[in-house]
Amino acid sequence: MDVIVPAIPGTYDGFRATLRAFIAEHKPTLAWKQRTGLRVPDRAADVELLRTYVRAIHDAGYVLDRFSAEPGDPHEQRILEQELVAAGVPHVLGNPLVAGALKHFGTDEQRSTYLPPMARGDHIWTQLFSEPDAGSDLTSLQTRAGRDGDDFVVVGQKVWSTWAQWSDYGYLLARTEPVEGPAGISAFILDMRSPGVDVRPLREMTGTTDFNEVFFDEVRVPAVNMIGAPGEGWRVAGASLAEERSNVGGAGGVDPVQRLVGLARRHNRGGRPAVEDGAVRQQIGGFAARSRIQRHLGQRMATKAMKGQITAADAPLAKIWFSELNLEMVEAALALQGARSMAVEGDELTVEDGRWQDAFLYARAWTIAGGSNEIMRNLIAERGLGLPREPRGQS
Amino acid sequence: MDFGFGEDQELLRSTTRRFLTEHQSLADVRRSMEEPDLFDPVVWRQGADLGWTAMLVPAEHEGGSVTGQPLVDLVVLAEELGRELNPGPFVPCNVSADAIARFGTEVQAKEHLPRLARGETTSAWCLSGDGSPEPSAVEVRASRSGDGWRLEGVARYVHAAADATLLLVTATGPESGVVNLLVPRPSAGLTDRVLTGLDLTRRFAEVHFDGVTVPGAAELAGGWAVVERCLSVATVLQAAESVGAADHLFTATVEYAKKRVQFGRTIGSFQAIKHRLANLLIELEGMRAAAHYAALALGDGLPDADEAVATAGAYVDDAFAHLAGEAIQLHGGIGFTWEHDVHLFMRRAKVNQVLYGDGAWHRERLIRLVEAATAPSGGA
Repeated sequence: MDVIVPAIPGTYDGFRATLRAFIAEHKPTLAWKQRTGLRVPDRAADVELLRTYVRAIHDAGYVLDRFSAEPGDPHEQRILEQELVAAGVPHVLGNPLVAGALKHFGTDEQRSTYLPPMARGDHIWTQLFSEPDAGSDLTSLQTRAGRDGDDFVVVGQKVWSTWAQWSDYGYLLARTEPVEGPAGISAFILDMRSPGVDVRPLREMTGTTDFNEVFFDEVRVPAVNMIGAPGEGWRVAGASLAEERSNVGGAGGVDPVQRLVGLARRHNRGGRPAVEDGAVRQQIGGFAARSRIQRHLGQRMATKAMKGQITAADAPLAKIWFSELNLEMVEAALALQGARSMAVEGDELTVEDGRWQDAFLYARAWTIAGGSNEIMRNLIAERGLGLPREPRGQS
Repeated sequence: MDFGFGEDQELLRSTTRRFLTEHQSLADVRRSMEEPDLFDPVVWRQGADLGWTAMLVPAEHEGGSVTGQPLVDLVVLAEELGRELNPGPFVPCNVSADAIARFGTEVQAKEHLPRLARGETTSAWCLSGDGSPEPSAVEVRASRSGDGWRLEGVARYVHAAADATLLLVTATGPESGVVNLLVPRPSAGLTDRVLTGLDLTRRFAEVHFDGVTVPGAAELAGGWAVVERCLSVATVLQAAESVGAADHLFTATVEYAKKRVQFGRTIGSFQAIKHRLANLLIELEGMRAAAHYAALALGDGLPDADEAVATAGAYVDDAFAHLAGEAIQLHGGIGFTWEHDVHLFMRRAKVNQVLYGDGAWHRERLIRLVEAATAPSGGA
């Protein structure tokens, strides 16, 4: 048993140094204030700066495995991930999950047409899955794509699409087959500039705009843009959703438990530093344990994946563990600030420029998006433990 | 990276499971639990032949492990013993063997380790008067007596003391700090009283020292460092035992939810039940990850071993107790009967929660480690 990730040989020091210098030279200065979570720039100029940055990295020969047909050198890939994350600005623009779908289900032509520009930042993608009446119950989606000659004609509405306001292409699920449920769904590549596509940014409870509504009024999609076979869309999406869930919570930066200790030192409870309060210490100690266990669950999952032993319960379990621990920690962070927790970004009394208030509001995105935690619990019980499926109601 | 067990360890698991099914299953433990003596020395020696107490004993003292990671091998055994709520002195024997191998003299090692490894000696650890792992809670006093030591006082909540032939006794020394002494049992002035206990599948005792004398060579040098090491090993092994017990109980609870029919449906088809079972699986997997990593980190001496052990101590037994309580609730009325095994798991869990440092003790330890790692500026 070990958790050893093979060390990167010293012969790669030059690669890292060159890359780091390249990133430093090309990293844009953005007007956008970055916040915790999977957040989207709010200015077109910043998106253009980011495109230029991603393009420069790509053209210098640095390509992440997720966008290439052939895997690169594993050490170079790790260094690339590390340095791009350390740079602190987005290096993947849009929602990249379609890349996995294209790799597993796409045609050679689709792969060669769409993967390179995605890697280069020329094409930004959004995911067009959820609908107002099909959130947790995604297979009941009602957006339709009817065959008309060499095209499909799409009519309907999507919601919760990140990056849609800046996207060039959409990864669409729509109903093509005359059956209800998952068997009627197909997956498509949709050009977001097609006539009849209407993107309306949605302002969320955070006050920021990370999601959009997207309306389709008889949008024509060439039939060659279907990913996989007709009726295979749910399988295609399942592969990418699993990836989304297992990617959740991988953010770098300062350990949130250490940040809580910092808050507890600076704020008082009962006239003395909160870090001296027994209840606070117990709470933070408990978070520390669960936060470490989150890492060990990830190590177990990686091992199971390597041995082909991943179960249907694994990704939902990791998503619930992370999102609920995160929510409890940001709630505790506000509690530590006492009355001062009412001051947010922009007020002179705010703590750490309001990062905790924003993280608190955003925490509900993690417990809902990517499949709500209630659906995750159904998946664990039904597919992981083999309990009976929920009966479908009559509508 | 391979955060899993190897083939040899899986073989150890299946061999152990088969042995316990044949010789000391939970049904067997149940039959003996209302008798005065739970301990079966014959089975214990057979278990010792399978390596139950040999893993932490060096080869020159008749020990040996399955792999190069003896503590991980022991986790496999602890999980299997935990599944059947085994009453035996698995944790104290391995804790003592580790302490003697690590801190003992050659003479002590020769005298005790082969017999521990063969299962001929069983041991118990007399830690403190109130069960907590604090120097101030140690209630046995050691004073110089000629070339040796004289012991007065009491240790309580000592697992398997009444079956042991060797006691590892933590006592306050004549100067500051503690001394740890190897005391044969029986000895003159040494008496014990077996507790009427919540856990029906193990026996705990109160051990009185009334002028017990041992030679100077009985001391295990190292003071509180010995206690720290013993606590870490005990925390890891008990956590693994809890994982095994919780896994068994959880599987049984899921099976029950699939079979029990009410309102014309299996109760496992109700979402209120499904979500509770999903929560329990999440806790169980968390327990497992914590226990396995703690064994790996402590055994291999990884830099974060202290944090890893404290994490297991902070999480595992509290989660086990929660899981056991939920298991009773999910079994409904049948779970409230004496005949059903579920309360035996609950009883085991409640006692594991308070042994070798309770959850609160380990959480405090963990936040101290985090504080030490957090820059004064506050980690922002």
